[in-house]
Amino acid sequence: MRKPIQVLGAVCLLVASMSGMAASVMAAPQPERYLHVKVEDSKDGESVNVNLPLSIAEKMLPSINKGNLHNGTVTIGSADMNGIDFKGLMEAIRTAPDNEFVTIKQKDQDVRVAKSNGNLIVHVRSSEGEKQNVDITIPLKVVDALFSNAKDNELNIVAALHQLSDAGDALLITVQDTTQHVRIWVDSRTSSD
Amino acid sequence: MVLLGKIALGLTGTMLAGMGVVCSEGMIEVNVVERAPEAQHVYVIAPAMLVPIATHFIPRDKLGDASRQIGPYMPEIRAALGQLRETEDFVLVDVKDREQHVEVQKIGGDLIVDVHDANETVHVSTPIRAISSTLEQLVDSGIDATQ
Repeated sequence: MRKPIQVLGAVCLLVASMSGMAASVMAAPQPERYLHVKVEDSKDGESVNVNLPLSIAEKMLPSINKGNLHNGTVTIGSADMNGIDFKGLMEAIRTAPDNEFVTIKQKDQDVRVAKSNGNLIVHVRSSEGEKQNVDITIPLKVVDALFSNAKDNELNIVAALHQLSDAGDALLITVQDTTQHVRIWVDSRTSSD
Repeated sequence: MVLLGKIALGLTGTMLAGMGVVCSEGMIEVNVVERAPEAQHVYVIAPAMLVPIATHFIPRDKLGDASRQIGPYMPEIRAALGQLRETEDFVLVDVKDREQHVEVQKIGGDLIVDVHDANETVHVSTPIRAISSTLEQLVDSGIDATQ
């Protein structure tokens, strides 16, 4: 009779300690997310690193009311839309299976637009003038958040930043030419090193 | 003798309390080490609370222009500085070239700027709270000047 009580006590203790650990993990604050921009110029030996906490950008943007930016939303002029229904386009891409949507091969430029693993991917390889490679990988959730406003000609930057901070570590943009290398990425590290 | 002791204790307490109030916003630290053309070393450490107080002594008409320029950006500055205080320590900007290294970082409640080059080293540390209150004071002074 004594042994089952001891076992029950041990199980209760284990459950209590595990629930305590789970509660502490759930209560732990989410680590700060940073948008990193790194520009390296091998010709001049220059490097510029900017590390912006996404929380600062999220808090700051709604207070900016200048030009096309109001309350964290950018309004695009109808002339810049060129008659393209971006929301419809994004809806079509989101519902489509992983695929390559656009492939343009020219003499001095290759462009590829694809959807892969929940990301919108754009690759540009250009050899016109000086050689340049551009790679853009944006999580589709971020693109969705960008077009989440009711109006078709508005981009919700704050919602996109919020989604970006919820997304995992991601290399968003790289641009490489003969002398310069630009990288934009998101992670939880406090510096670019 | 007891009375003198009480007076001394009172004075010491008042001085400590005063120092506590003056230093409550932290300290501004400026350290400049110049190696060329001639070696010089300037080191200044001052209570940050003195800066917004000092703006009271600047003629109002001189502050008007600065206030007008900075006024429209105050909502953004308030939001940024408020959030900056709450974030963990991080390097905001790091610029390197062959001759110079500039670093702007947030450490504790301070915004720190370090510049290193072949000829000099500059280190400026300012409490973020002091930046906020100085800018608020600057804008308020400008508003008062226009009234």
